[in-house]
Amino acid sequence: MTLNVINLHASVEGKEILRGVSLTIKKGEVHAIMGPNGSGKSTLASTLLGHPSYKSRGKILLDGKNIRLLPTENRAKAGLFLAFQSPVAIAGVSVMNLLRSAYAARFEKKTASKTVQNPVLARRMNIGGMSIGDFTDMVKSYAASLDLKEELLSRGIHEGFSGGEKKKIEMLQSLVLPTKFAIFDEIDTGLDVDALRSVSKGLEQLSKKGVGVLIITHYQRILHYVKPDVVHVLVNGLIVRTGNASLAKKIEDEGYGTFR
Amino acid sequence: MARFGKYKYGFHTPERYVFKSKKGLDAGVVHEISGHKSEPLWMKDRRLAAYSIFGKKKLPLWGADLSTIDFDDIYYYLKPTEKMANRWKDLPPEILDTYNKIGIPEAEKKFLSGVSAQFESEVVYKSIQSALSKKGVIFLDMDSGLREYPDLVKQYFGTVIPPADNKFAALNTAVWSGGSFVYVPRGVRVDLPLQAYFRINAANMGQFERTLIIAEEGSFVHYVEGCTAPIYTTDSLHSAVVEIIVKKGARVRYTTIQNWSTNVYNLVTKRARVEEEGTMEWVDGNLGSKVTMKYPSVYLMGRKARGEVLSIAYAGANQHQDAGGKAMHYAPETSSQIISKSISRGGGRTSYRGMVYVSPNAKHCKSKVVCDALILDEHSRSDTYPTMKINEHETQIEHEATVSKIGDEQLFYLTSRGLTKHMAESMVVNGFIEPIVKELPLEYAVEMNRLIQLQMEGSVG
Repeated sequence: MTLNVINLHASVEGKEILRGVSLTIKKGEVHAIMGPNGSGKSTLASTLLGHPSYKSRGKILLDGKNIRLLPTENRAKAGLFLAFQSPVAIAGVSVMNLLRSAYAARFEKKTASKTVQNPVLARRMNIGGMSIGDFTDMVKSYAASLDLKEELLSRGIHEGFSGGEKKKIEMLQSLVLPTKFAIFDEIDTGLDVDALRSVSKGLEQLSKKGVGVLIITHYQRILHYVKPDVVHVLVNGLIVRTGNASLAKKIEDEGYGTFR
Repeated sequence: MARFGKYKYGFHTPERYVFKSKKGLDAGVVHEISGHKSEPLWMKDRRLAAYSIFGKKKLPLWGADLSTIDFDDIYYYLKPTEKMANRWKDLPPEILDTYNKIGIPEAEKKFLSGVSAQFESEVVYKSIQSALSKKGVIFLDMDSGLREYPDLVKQYFGTVIPPADNKFAALNTAVWSGGSFVYVPRGVRVDLPLQAYFRINAANMGQFERTLIIAEEGSFVHYVEGCTAPIYTTDSLHSAVVEIIVKKGARVRYTTIQNWSTNVYNLVTKRARVEEEGTMEWVDGNLGSKVTMKYPSVYLMGRKARGEVLSIAYAGANQHQDAGGKAMHYAPETSSQIISKSISRGGGRTSYRGMVYVSPNAKHCKSKVVCDALILDEHSRSDTYPTMKINEHETQIEHEATVSKIGDEQLFYLTSRGLTKHMAESMVVNGFIEPIVKELPLEYAVEMNRLIQLQMEGSVG
């Protein structure tokens, strides 16, 4: 299982932001991309998932298959996950409902019922081959592992959630949905120490499950809790340096000035 | 008519009528209807009086375009089968088939408490839980109600909505057939919702149900009706009247999911009179029809009476949903809330039309109106026509209105979770109406979510 990004360019409204990014993430590896504001970190995250505002060229190979031209939902179905930096709220769509629908969409054939024709109803009884009870238990146990309040699961997603709750809900989705590679865009901003700990526990769980993780961050705070296998420095749309965890330490001490 | 081809429930079963009036309306047809039903003379007289009012009243000059209704091209009365079926298995197979296509699963059929299904002009299927009659609760089709309880019907019929109220109330009074008659004695709570499935199944056929609900002091009942109709090439008219009397301290909830096929004119007058400390709740969902004009009303007549109108409207191509609510405060300390959520798509048009009235000396009233519109593309339209007539200073009136679109970021977010664009859209729309859908009985909520999903998937543009 490998995610191979080869010479990826991306532009928005004619302005080129990524200017040829290449990186390779293997199963279970944790990578960090660090860079100053405006270096293209979030653009990289959006481009990997196919945000319609970005024009891209280059290759995004997931297990050898180029997914760069696939619609967003097919990239997700291929196993790519993005935890948003500032996820939008969707009124009236509960976290549990979204998880149920998204999970069922991954296993459409298993969800389809021979006896119940109404798919909304079918989804209440069977989710991707799991009973509704088993599915709910799975979600709740992941939520507990992240110290997430259970009542959040029945609320409209990100509606009035605190910064920490939003990050944890994003993390929860990466754990529940079948994921091969997860990208975390600024997962550590606005988190207190306890929340940072919960989120890093989530990252560990993912890595143990064999999920390749890409952490996008401005600061190295999260890296005090999770030790990355590889650190990349992104400046002006290019990866200017790749190294091990000590590279993050160097940035902490010296800032980005030396890489510009 | 693009949506026609996609209309899921666009099917109809062979006609099987015992009696069918001629097309068009005159005093003779009114005589014939009343005579056929062997009604008491007073009802026949009311019908005839209403018929003459109908002739004099003009079509409303506001609201949706009604100019293409051809009153001469409509059958005003049909009677499909001689006897009413009392058990599910006694239903004619084509009706069962219809229910199966609508997708009521077996488990939910059992859940339905007293199912009263209207097929053509008359109720053909009715199953009343014995518990209801033990409590003294009457749940009949209106024709049987008139036959079996003529005095009760005479006492209340037309007292909340007189025939002169509007042209369609007059028409309904002249030619009404079917509908429900519900009487809940003092202090009785009906725990399961009373449900009625409606259905039109003949070209050019009008449906003129008449429903009367009387909730005596301190009682409670929830009445639920839902309809789906097949497609026809010519326009069809549905014009019902629903009158509700909520006595002191009683509570009535009336839930409607309307999904007529998109050739139907759905022009309904619904009104409740609420006495001291009584509560009336209208939950009204309008998904189908070509044109809907419907403004469930609460007339708050006694101190501390409460009224609530929750309204959802969906308008796709060639549809105009002109819906809303009316809250009339005639007594002190009364309160009302009107919440309207509308969705327009594919060139559809929704209008919120509402009225809040506070009479002089109705002190310390409260009213809150919230109307939210979701417009899914640039061809669609939504308007708001709120009217406030406040004749008393010591009142508290709030009005909020929002118009929104589905954001690109919301779609990106949901598709990044593996949902298709259509699924993502229907999820946002279902989320938008969720505050009202959660008030529906489970099977209706499921059906509603499913219908929204079908609408989203069913269109290309």
